[in-house]
Parts: sequence; structure tokens; C-alpha cells
Amino acid sequence: MEWLERNVPKLVLAPSFVAILVFVYGFIAWTAWISFTRSRLMPRYELDGFIQYERLFAAPRWDVAMNNLFIFGGLFILFSMVIGLVLAILLDQKIRAEGVLRTIYLYPMALSLIVTGTAWKWILNPGLGLQEMVRGWGFENFTFDWLIRPDMAIYTIVLAAVWQASGFVMALFLAGLRSVDTEIIRAAQVDGIPTHRIYSAIIIPTMAPIFLSAFIVLAHLAIKAFDLVIALTGGGPGYATDLPATYMYAMAFSRGDLGQAASSAMIMMMVVFAIVVPYLYSELRPRRDQ
Amino acid sequence: MPRAVTTRRKAATTLIAWTIGLLIFFPILWTVLTSFKSESDAIAIPPKFLNFDWTLANYVTVQERSNYFRHFWNSVVISFGSTLIGLVIAIPAAWSMAFVPGRRTRDILMWMLSTKMLPAVGVLVPIYLLARDTGLLDTRILLVGVLTLINLPIIVWMLYTYFREIPGEILEAARMDGAGLRAEIIHALTPMAIPGIASTLLLNVILAWNEAFWTLNLTAARSAPLTAFIASYSSPEGLFYAKLSAASTMAIAPILILGWFSQKQLVRGLTFGAVK
Repeated sequence: MEWLERNVPKLVLAPSFVAILVFVYGFIAWTAWISFTRSRLMPRYELDGFIQYERLFAAPRWDVAMNNLFIFGGLFILFSMVIGLVLAILLDQKIRAEGVLRTIYLYPMALSLIVTGTAWKWILNPGLGLQEMVRGWGFENFTFDWLIRPDMAIYTIVLAAVWQASGFVMALFLAGLRSVDTEIIRAAQVDGIPTHRIYSAIIIPTMAPIFLSAFIVLAHLAIKAFDLVIALTGGGPGYATDLPATYMYAMAFSRGDLGQAASSAMIMMMVVFAIVVPYLYSELRPRRDQ
Repeated sequence: MPRAVTTRRKAATTLIAWTIGLLIFFPILWTVLTSFKSESDAIAIPPKFLNFDWTLANYVTVQERSNYFRHFWNSVVISFGSTLIGLVIAIPAAWSMAFVPGRRTRDILMWMLSTKMLPAVGVLVPIYLLARDTGLLDTRILLVGVLTLINLPIIVWMLYTYFREIPGEILEAARMDGAGLRAEIIHALTPMAIPGIASTLLLNVILAWNEAFWTLNLTAARSAPLTAFIASYSSPEGLFYAKLSAASTMAIAPILILGWFSQKQLVRGLTFGAVK
């Protein structure tokens, strides 16, 4: 009975722990195994070295997908952070109906892009949306045809992704702005330091951990990005807007090439680990020191 | 500094903030507006904002052609089913970590959350094959199961952040008064835990409602929820913006409304408890 009482906390934790362990790591291990085999339509379990990775790195389509990931990820993280920060500072000016605005800014994050993609397809359509709207305002030569240009289509994905995530970054930053010690700010105001200096010299530097968290969240969202591409371009024109996740999807389901699917999944996994593990380490270390 | 300047400045920032708000809201507003247009008004050049003939025809067509309500019901079953099962598994776990923290509690939490960051593609193929071999492909049971497991780390994490705010002294006081473990849980813990559980429920229903990766990959006509239904709606027959907008509006309306009435929970939930 005493044993039971002492171990109840561990026992009730066990189902969640085991579920996540088996479900996530068990299946990842399976995928890793398959990535070292010659599996095509059906899984085969005889190991055969790095053949799938060699094929992967030789595939031009994978090259495009990785390139797109760097373009998309870089711009997506940069613009979401900048816009998120600007929005947070705006809302921090104690404006009217702040709560309502905060909810509106966050709505895109609460909705699936598969669904809001309907409007984006219209906006980006060079025959209908933004292009015709601006031309209607008298700018006859305005062109906005990124969606159908292989070299520009990836930027439409950046646009929709930034739209979706900026409000989320804003909420994170706003919480950070609000948690800065008001005494310091008041002291600075009394000293006659202008507002923009207070932000750049006092408030923003103390928010460094929030910048890091926002970066980590955005980075892993970028690597996982899938429904964005499906909703807006379907990977097209051609495969110009493929990202690793859609490449993997195409290999697994339309090409019947499980080996390629598994190896591309493992590469994505490694990229995520490369970003998340140092972060977790830095999060956990100070606690251990105590 | 003269007061007039700050007032004017405040008015300016308010104006800017609201303009941006409108800009952000525009795609959502446009979807709703388009859903009431005829197909020809929907692709009119120049675009028509409010000066079109309002019609409900799209909503009727969507339901007639593809049985919208079945997909709606699929969404409800999948999102609530997976969230409720997840809560049953996660509440004891979060309770134990919040009130009886061990040396490794924080490590376990971070580890759980980190699994949520791993790309789902890493586990897609084995799950797909498993589902195919057991005949579960395109069933709601499969999706409930998968989404429960996928969102479990977030459910545990959110409940933990809420539970940790419950003052432990109250539990101690209840114990001092001679309350047993059962009475302690029913009379002291439950009333204080319910708001947190409700917020977690809200967020996870939304997450599951929006889930596209798994629903697109694991369902077909029979058990497709709204996301998969809408994704399939646009491709074969070309784009019918008005009908697609009607289907989309019906998919986002529940969340817009739910979100509006629970703004605080929505904000906190979407930021995973980082924002109080």
C-alpha cells in the first residue's frame, strides 16, 4: 500500500510516456531501418547500405525541395519575426480594444491553411485577385503572377505562411514585452530617454529567450510545412514549390518508392534534431545546475 | 511633452493597428463574402466587394453534391474523440507532474514536447502500412487514434502549465481537514482544474479540426473530415470559387465563433501556455 502510494505519480505518468515512446520513436526506428533497404512499393527488410541516400542526393527534385526549404524557411522566419515584433510593439501602446485586435491577429493561426487557402488562391491568381484589384485602381501595368512562375511561386508560399504565423509571433513577443520590469521602464522615461531607445536598448535585449523560442517554433514549422504547399500550389508549377515534406509524400504515395520516402524523412528528422537538440540542451542545463 | 502630441500619436497607432488587423482579416472576410456570390460574380473583374446579388445557392449545392454534413460530422467525431481520449490519458500524467514533481519531471516534459516538433513524415509510412494491413484505412477510429497520440504531448504540456498554477496549499488544507484522497480530488482539485481542462479541450479540438497532414493521407471519401473534403473539392472539377468558399466558410465558422467567445483561452492555447 505504501509502495503504491509512493509510485502512483509514476504509474499515472506511464501511459503517456509509453505511448509517446512507442508511437514516436518506435515508428521512427522503423522508418530509419527502411531507409537502408531497397524497398519500393512494399517494405523490404534486408539492409543494403546507403543506396537510398545516394539516390536521394542525386535526385534533382530533392535538390529543388531542399533549396526551397532554405529560401522558404529563411524568409518565413525573418519576416514573421520582424512583423510579429512590430505588431507586438504596436499593441503594447495601450491602444483601444487591444483584446479584439489580438484575436484578429491570431485568427490565421487558428484556422487551417487548407481552408483559408481558398481565399489565397483567389488573391494570388493573376487573372483575378490582387493583380486585377490593383489594375482596377488605375495601375494598368501592375503584375503579380508569382503563382504561375516556377522561379517565383515559392514566394507565394512564404507570403501565406507569414500571414499565418505573424500573429502567433506577436502574441509571444507581446507577452515578453509585458513581462519586462515596469520600474526600469519608468526610470528610463523619467530620465527622458525616448521611447524607441527604451525599446531597442532595454526591452528587446531582455527578450532574448523569447526570440530564441520563437525561432525554434518557426524553424520546426518551416521544416514540417506541408498543407501550405498542398493548399496553394500542389507543389507546382512542375515541382518548383516542392518542400521536403511534399517530396516525401509524393515518393510514398504517387511514386510507390518507400525507400526514397524513408530516406527523405530521415534527412528532415536530422535537420529538426540539429535545431531542437541544442535548444533543449540550453533549456535544461540551468535546471541541472541548481 | 504637450499632451496633445501623445493623444494624436495614440490615435495614429490605433489607426495603424486596426488597418493591419483589417488586412490580416481580409482573406477570411473575402472567403465569407465569396460564399454568397454566384460563380460569375466570384471571378468578376474588377472584383466585387459588396455590390453583388447575395445568394445562398452555393451552400445548397455543396450539401447536395457531396453531403457536406457527413464530413462535418466526421470532423466533430475526430476532433472531440481524439481530444477526450487524450485528456483521459493526460490528466493523471499532468496531475502527477504538477503536484508530485520528481527530479526528472522537467526533462520528461521537454522530451514530450520535443517529440511534437519532429516532422510527422517520419512516422507516416509505418502508420499508413499498419492501417492498410489492419483494414483501418479511411475509418474515423484510425484518425481518432492517430490524432490522440499526435496531440498527446501538447495536451500534457498545457494541462501541466494550468495545474501548476493551482496553489498546493489548498490541497494541504483539505488534507488537514481530514479529507481523503478521493474527497481531495473531487472537492478541492476538480473545481480549480476545470478551467484549465476546458482551455486544453478547446485548443486541441481546434488543432484536430485543422489537422490536414494526417487526414489527407489516411482518409478517402468515407471518413474524410472537412479539411480533406475541401482539399479534394478544388482539384477534379476545376476551381469553383463560390462553392469552395461556401464549403470553407462552413469549415472555419465554428472556430471563428468559438475563438471569439474564448479569446483569452485561444491566445493562451495557441501560444502553448507561454502567454497568460
